[in-house]
Amino acid sequence: MAVITGVTCPVCGTFCDDIELIIENNVIVEARNACAMGAAKFLNYSAHRTKKPLIRKNGELVEVSMDEAVEKAAKILVDANYPLMYGWSNTSCEAIRTGLELGEEVGAVMDNTSTVCHGPSILSVQDVGIPSATLGQLRHRADLIIYWASNPWSAHPRHAERYTMFSDGRFEGSTWKSYLSRLRGVMSRKKIQRASNLVLKQDFCFTPQVEEGLPSSVHQKRRRTIVIDVRKTRTADAADCFFQVEPGTDYELLQALRVLVNDGELDVDEVAGIPIETLEQLADLLVNCKLGIIFFGLGLTMSKGKHRNIDAAINLTRDLNKRTKFLIMPMRGHYNVTGVNIVFTWQTGYPFAVDLSNGYPRYNPGETSAVDILSRDEADATMVIASDPVAHFPRAASKNIAKHPLIAIDPEVTPTTMLADVIIPPAFVGIEAEGTAYRMDHVPLPLKKVVEPPETCLSDQEILQRILQKVRELRRDMN
Amino acid sequence: MTELIIKNGFVYDPLNRIDGEKMDISIRDGKIVESVKEKANGINASGMVVMPGGVDIHTHIAGGEVNSGRLLRPEDHVKDVEVKTALTRSGVGYSIPSTFTTGYRYSKMGYTTLMNPSMAPLEARHTHEELADIPMVDKAAYPLLGDWWFSLEHIRDGLIEENAAHIAWMLQATRGYAIKIVNPGGLEAWGFGRNVHSLDDVVPHFNITPREIIRGLCKVNRLLNLPHTIHVHTNNLGKPGNYVTAIETMKCVEDLAQGDKPVIHITHIQFCAFKGSDWSTLSSGAGEISKYVNNHNHVTLDMGQVIFSNTTTMTADGPFQYGLYNITGNKWVNHDVETETSGGIVPFKYKRSSAVHATQWSIGLEIALLIEDPWKILMTTDHPNGGPFTSYPKILAWLMSRAAREITLSKINKRARKKSLLPSIDRELSLYELAIVTRAGQAKALGLKPKGHLGVGADADVAIYNIDPQRLDISKEYKVARKAFKKAAFTIKDGEVVVKDGEIVKPVTGKTYWIDVSTSMPHEINDDIKKKFREYWTVEYENYPLPDSFIHSSFPIPVKAEV
Amino acid sequence: MIILDPKRAFRFPIEAKNISPDIFAKKSSKEIAALQMWEGNRKGALGDLFNIKNDSGSPSEEFTIKIEGDASKLRNIGARMSMGHIVVDGDAGMHLGEDMSGGTITVAGNAGSWAGSKMKGGTIEIKGNAGDYIGAPYRGSTKGMNGGKIIIHGNAGYEVGCFMRNGLIQILGDVGLFAGIHMSNGTIFVQGNSEGRAGAQMINGKIVICGHTPVMPTFTIDSIKPKVKVDGEKIEGPFYRFIGDLADNGNGKLFVSKTKNPHLSPYEKYLE
Ligand code: SF4
Ligand SMILES: [Zn+2]
Repeated sequence: MAVITGVTCPVCGTFCDDIELIIENNVIVEARNACAMGAAKFLNYSAHRTKKPLIRKNGELVEVSMDEAVEKAAKILVDANYPLMYGWSNTSCEAIRTGLELGEEVGAVMDNTSTVCHGPSILSVQDVGIPSATLGQLRHRADLIIYWASNPWSAHPRHAERYTMFSDGRFEGSTWKSYLSRLRGVMSRKKIQRASNLVLKQDFCFTPQVEEGLPSSVHQKRRRTIVIDVRKTRTADAADCFFQVEPGTDYELLQALRVLVNDGELDVDEVAGIPIETLEQLADLLVNCKLGIIFFGLGLTMSKGKHRNIDAAINLTRDLNKRTKFLIMPMRGHYNVTGVNIVFTWQTGYPFAVDLSNGYPRYNPGETSAVDILSRDEADATMVIASDPVAHFPRAASKNIAKHPLIAIDPEVTPTTMLADVIIPPAFVGIEAEGTAYRMDHVPLPLKKVVEPPETCLSDQEILQRILQKVRELRRDMN
Repeated sequence: MTELIIKNGFVYDPLNRIDGEKMDISIRDGKIVESVKEKANGINASGMVVMPGGVDIHTHIAGGEVNSGRLLRPEDHVKDVEVKTALTRSGVGYSIPSTFTTGYRYSKMGYTTLMNPSMAPLEARHTHEELADIPMVDKAAYPLLGDWWFSLEHIRDGLIEENAAHIAWMLQATRGYAIKIVNPGGLEAWGFGRNVHSLDDVVPHFNITPREIIRGLCKVNRLLNLPHTIHVHTNNLGKPGNYVTAIETMKCVEDLAQGDKPVIHITHIQFCAFKGSDWSTLSSGAGEISKYVNNHNHVTLDMGQVIFSNTTTMTADGPFQYGLYNITGNKWVNHDVETETSGGIVPFKYKRSSAVHATQWSIGLEIALLIEDPWKILMTTDHPNGGPFTSYPKILAWLMSRAAREITLSKINKRARKKSLLPSIDRELSLYELAIVTRAGQAKALGLKPKGHLGVGADADVAIYNIDPQRLDISKEYKVARKAFKKAAFTIKDGEVVVKDGEIVKPVTGKTYWIDVSTSMPHEINDDIKKKFREYWTVEYENYPLPDSFIHSSFPIPVKAEV
Repeated sequence: MIILDPKRAFRFPIEAKNISPDIFAKKSSKEIAALQMWEGNRKGALGDLFNIKNDSGSPSEEFTIKIEGDASKLRNIGARMSMGHIVVDGDAGMHLGEDMSGGTITVAGNAGSWAGSKMKGGTIEIKGNAGDYIGAPYRGSTKGMNGGKIIIHGNAGYEVGCFMRNGLIQILGDVGLFAGIHMSNGTIFVQGNSEGRAGAQMINGKIVICGHTPVMPTFTIDSIKPKVKVDGEKIEGPFYRFIGDLADNGNGKLFVSKTKNPHLSPYEKYLE
């Protein structure tokens, strides 16, 4: 039995690096400190995996040697007029670096999953910038935490514990205790309210809780958490207050708040279903904190208005910096989706949707982004790495992926691999292969190799390196 | 054994006091040697200038802040692209080129060694990943340590030796080269949106002043025997009247100097040489600064010259960048790093028509020309803060030619022109002096022994430019010289010709230098840092230091500390 | 007149910035055929893709390029052009007339997104619908359309006139979200309805919407106007005149038809 400490969790953007793994006979038997999501990955990752390369022959997937699979993949890429290489957010930066070299060699469009998650956030960052920080800065200093259209309770389970409301910093402490007592209060109130058949819609206000006899700590200056969302989430239950926004009106709400924090006035009585008086109180809270932070999620980037919601949110943050210190950060999903933007950017200048078909990087999401290219059926071959676009893209786009040669580098069986013509299963990076990945706040951390991969599995990086080599050989033969 | 001989060039090798002598340079296995065999490959450099490869003491080329700048500016890249060739990778410019492009472009100008001056220790892994993707040059990075909580607490408590040992740990953990200090105390204050405004302002919550931080780290630097001095970006950067702060900063370590050895490097001095009480009364503090520097030997400077261009400013000075955002209303990135530092990015356009920008342009050149000893003032733009490094040949032209200065002077803002000291300065730098400010002086200030010269044993990093000093009067024909400096006739890296006629002919990777300090108590320090780790940072102790396997062509320089 | 007749249907994006009167002028048919065109990741020549006919009309006529058939995969047609005409018979691809400073482009069918992006002068007329980002700047830039005229007979998508600085965009059909976002000057005229958020984050300039539209809460009512002037022409109202976007300290003028927008009548109480 071996205990390995300080393991990073290759699951979500929280990218916890304090996991302790117990290993017996090359098998992980226990994952300490990990949340349920993380533990599930460490304990079950290899339950349903492909171990050997497969090629579709006469409609059937058949096992082949690594060399044959690599050659076939290389051939597909070399023959393609407009290949797309997509995925990348669940692999190491080392693999991404090699992938970009391969993409350049074959004149591909390189896109990553941020195209369907925080791509809009990036577009607005390119318009207005972003005042942000590493997560520890917030753990130490933030006294006002806002989760806007993000629900860490289910998507980033240890975010609050490690970095925000339940973490202890130098200048701000955990609010765990006050949360527990408030929870008790809420429970009893819920009971009463259920009994009286009322629908609970918690208003912005600490006072009702005080009346129910909460400890005086609530009155003290301490960290407070606010949740703003279209529905009441588990995170909202844990927060000091919750604002419910009418779906599709975040943009109006953000712009209205900008007017209010600048002491302006509005002609309307409510915005996004929230009365102006309430919003004025919220604006006061924002202006009067010592350090505030907005964590926003896909509820903001993918709802009506998309990147302009983020434009407004960042501009609100900019406005607030005239009055106090205020920061903002996207809640990135996949553990290395931040890393893929970073590597793409340092090699090509652009974070996603990079078209290398003309021999140099070009970037214009909407034009050079995977979903759009596939929807217009322009790609004549696709390589997918560590991702499942067939399941997640709009129907028209996934249908077009399947029409043309498809290469999948993925250990898991997914709708994408099921349609693939070449499947090369790699070692699981972060478990069976090492590398580097970036936490959502741009902090780089090592991915570790804790067990040996099956003999037939190479790392993503090695596979890509082999394909690159083969591509160069094929090219040489052609000339 | 590969040999190469550079024949009949006019050699400018100031560290060996060679001033344009016609001689051969022999190279074997990447080093300069006494002589090589007859049949060694030869480069005919007759009618050309031969210099050591260029060294840049301060250029933001890699890491979190640079890359956020890249991400921020697609509109900057789209106008300046590099197409893939059989030898080189593709990329983009302009003010923040992608990694490969950065390496190629420096190499094409004859540069071979670059110092990345701003590395948040927590994100060192990022910096080194990018450095690995910068081809053609040797490189190193300076960790930001002036607002590190350990530094603040140790120095406040008078624990200089402990701090020295901790910083030794940090240099090893981050694979760093020198102690970088940015707006000391100001970055910690910026954590809550505040700043410090003088050397004696108290840093909130830490009961320490910028003066104490600078002095403390200067002592640490000495205890550790680091090859470079502390590398300081002053308080009040970019504010009218700040030349006083710059002089006070230099003064505050005067007594720590031993002999003529510098103990402090003030970087991008142009940005801290402003006189006047506000922007409308802004004038040059170059006179005062150069007077001080001419009378003191404990300081080196680099220019931070401004180029009229659309560039991207980026520093660890969070409050300064915030100020710039407030002035311009431009897009703004802020990135505070827990327990260590901050950072900011704002695109910025230096316009000839602006009195302020034109004055800044003038200040940089005034300082470079008024400081008599070229070993004390090195040529930089603080890339990309004053302008992109690709404009270095322009600066060389201004330094070598009064006529070149006058042409630009005639095109700038009238008010700035009237106030400029440049018309009163006749000095024109010789090729020998240019070699000092672009390589020899830079390497010397860095304490980087194998660089910046062509003596036996030096690294065979050589730049050959198409300038015939016997025929070309660079003062008059500065345009020809400028062109020659833009495209080196040859760049030789570790003994191999990598650039010919300004084009890459052989892509190579460079070394990464870092300082490996041995102290007497490494284990105690480990334990102390470990103890505080979870309290201070959000990552685990064991994931913080970079393993050597991570560093691309790792090249440690061993140093023995006095603690 | 040069007529370009596609040799086949295209399926990969084609970089067609070389199709421009400025580039064609003074070139022989042979030279035109040799002009570089990228199709997907293959470098080729214009002559590989098109039959080129030189139909020299009257010498007095301005230089004209006509593309017959479907040009929807052709990107950057007429980019940077400063004179002459381009006529597209069918649909045109993205970035039509990007950065153009003069001349005219007429499209019989639809045009893709970014038509008239960064445009400084000249006219683009699209008989069908247009995509998103008409007259917008490149990503990360605030330099949107700065002159000239874009007329769209059908509907237009999102972010029409994004960061617009000058010029006129006329949409005779409906417009998507965020028309005139971040605009600082110029005029956008919409004959039909707007999906909403017109003038979001605008600093200045004029937007006229004759159909139905929601109005952002960060606009304040200023007056009711009987008519409004667009490009020298008087459009009959009445119109509510709003000022915004207040969140951006904007002084943009948003004119919205009174009759088509009864839901805005509560604003009238502020005018009494
Ligand atoms: S929060 Fe995310 S990174 Fe942390 S253990 Fe859970 S799944 Fe893994
Ligand atoms: Zn700098």
